[in-house]
Amino acid sequence: MSELVPKWGKLLLPALLLCALPFYLDAFWLRIGLFSIAAAIGAVGLGLLSGTAGQLSLGHAFFLAVGAYGYTWLAGDPGPALPPALAAVLAVLLAGAAGGLFSPVAGRVRGIYLGIATLALVFLGHHLLLTADSVTGGFNGRSVPPLTLGGFGFTADDPELTVLGVPFGAEERLWYLGLALFALTWFTARGLLRGRPGRALSAVRDSETAAAVMGVNVARYRSAAFVVSSMYAGLAGVLLALSFRRVVPDYFGLALSVDYLAMIVIGGLGSVAGATAGAFFVTALPLLMTRYADQLPLVAAPGTGGEGALGPTEAARYLYGAVIVVILLYAPDGLHGLSRRVRARLRPARSPDRPPSAPWPASAETSPATPARAKEHTP
Amino acid sequence: MNIRTTGRTATGPAAGPQAAPPALHVRDVTVRFAGLTALDAVSFTVAPGSVHALIGPNGAGKSTCFNVLSGLCRPAAGQVLLGDTDLTGLAPHRIAALGVARTFQNIVTTEGTVADNLMLGRHALSRAGFAASALRLPGAVREQRAHLDRVREIAELTGLGAHVDTPVALLSYGDRKRVELARALCLEPRVLLLDEPVAGMNGAERAATADVVRTVREQLGLSVVLVEHDMGLVMRLADEVTVLDFGRRLAHGTPDEIRRHPEVLRAYLGTGAPDETPEIQEALETPEAAETADPAETTKTTKATEPTDPTETTEETAVTEPPGENAP
Repeated sequence: MSELVPKWGKLLLPALLLCALPFYLDAFWLRIGLFSIAAAIGAVGLGLLSGTAGQLSLGHAFFLAVGAYGYTWLAGDPGPALPPALAAVLAVLLAGAAGGLFSPVAGRVRGIYLGIATLALVFLGHHLLLTADSVTGGFNGRSVPPLTLGGFGFTADDPELTVLGVPFGAEERLWYLGLALFALTWFTARGLLRGRPGRALSAVRDSETAAAVMGVNVARYRSAAFVVSSMYAGLAGVLLALSFRRVVPDYFGLALSVDYLAMIVIGGLGSVAGATAGAFFVTALPLLMTRYADQLPLVAAPGTGGEGALGPTEAARYLYGAVIVVILLYAPDGLHGLSRRVRARLRPARSPDRPPSAPWPASAETSPATPARAKEHTP
Repeated sequence: MNIRTTGRTATGPAAGPQAAPPALHVRDVTVRFAGLTALDAVSFTVAPGSVHALIGPNGAGKSTCFNVLSGLCRPAAGQVLLGDTDLTGLAPHRIAALGVARTFQNIVTTEGTVADNLMLGRHALSRAGFAASALRLPGAVREQRAHLDRVREIAELTGLGAHVDTPVALLSYGDRKRVELARALCLEPRVLLLDEPVAGMNGAERAATADVVRTVREQLGLSVVLVEHDMGLVMRLADEVTVLDFGRRLAHGTPDEIRRHPEVLRAYLGTGAPDETPEIQEALETPEAAETADPAETTKTTKATEPTDPTETTEETAVTEPPGENAP
């Protein structure tokens, strides 16, 4: 695949940049980045389900909770106290299984009705988290056992580690774990979307009838989309639990599901890069506004409660509500579509007809000829 | 390249492109929609490798018949057999895997480029699953590349070679119609169901599509079932014609027999006597001159007759049927 090399080259620079960040940023910024990475993994999963396969889901928070609590219970005490790495893998599988259990429902209802059905999952999940004390710790939640991989702990001092004069605490270590998991997500999700399953899923979204007569087992692909999406959500849940160090039921409410929908809408449906961008936007914005509340106009610092001023979290919500409206009005294909159009405009006029994201590298050989050749059968 | 057959061997009997397709038998198929009998004990047989046209006025049950053949609609009675395999009640994707491909009257393409759409046609012939595609295992990558090669061949064959990487949404109407045909061909079908393949096309596009149908039938040796309002095209392409009216089989025979069939003329034109009906006569007889001509000449003939042929315009309007008709 020699054509792929330049593509990977393009990814190399951002990857190196991300790897260098812990040497320059303090724990606060790394934590924001970590939450964003976790959200990005979850958003990629939801994008696969709602963007590519066209199944509206308001239940993403439930699957995140399954991942987060699954890990906490499996690795913790009370619980089987499994090795944390194994617990993490099992938690992801558990989330996938939860998605699989829900898929008979998903196979029967469509569109907004599916949205309502998944909404029920969130309420059910929240209720379970509050009442199943022995597993979830009830209202106060549970503290999350730290991850250890072969004797290396993702904590502040197990073992003490200093790289190039920078002490590596929990945030620095988790940052690299997050990057690795995100790279895995990016690689697998793009492979899925550009391969046979991705084509089948978008065919199911565009026309179930056409997909079926082309040989796609529609029911199977609809439920497979749920399973895969839930597995990504589970992975995001595990990473979130590790970065929060404590899981509480109130975090996994309806608002979280809506946040994830906002991420994929802002980013652009059906695109991995878009979901990532949307996740960073939605996750990092409230945290940044909290941090800089005292320097922003109209925003009160948390706890001060100034007259007529907004709390930073509310302000962030207003802001991204406005962004959603603007995006739906002016760029319905989200940040991803926006950047694609900007790039198409900046591209030299050499091959104007070529779609900027030709899905397969092999297309590069034929497309420059495209504009030169006139259509044969145009009336 | 043997990928044409590898997929099919997994799901059904092996069928090389040269092997004659099995006959398609439709036996006493009845379909009712809440009191309306859309098909009433309709029977016909598509001989291996032949072009079988299904004609009739709007609402005659042609599209319903296609929906039964492709599994989108389950008949209340009757049977559909492909060779010895009973297709009645099979899910659409199983019927597709047995080598029955169809196009739609209203264009149904998916987002993405022409290549994406055509690759969807390879779905039943390939097997890369979620895990293999997510991890980009060498097998999945190789399979995808091999199928992409075949997709390019089919695009060339159908005259879409220059548009392989163009998003379907940017194509002209005629080209999008052709994408559907090409996508169906990507299934390497043994039986190809074409629902109004030239509706709304201009003369040159019609001739080009007719050429494609003729070519694939000769090269790939498949059977074609054709629903079409363009009588000239039907009479030129078809080996056999079945006429439906109000869900019943009205007539059956060679194009020549159908052209003279009094019942057919009545169904198309009401109760008027055949000799007072110049329009249908003209429509049925126009292609006579072109019948034995070679493809190039056919193109010219069609082009030449197009602007002056009064039936063309009436038929154009006649094709505009409710968009929901194809829904199962």
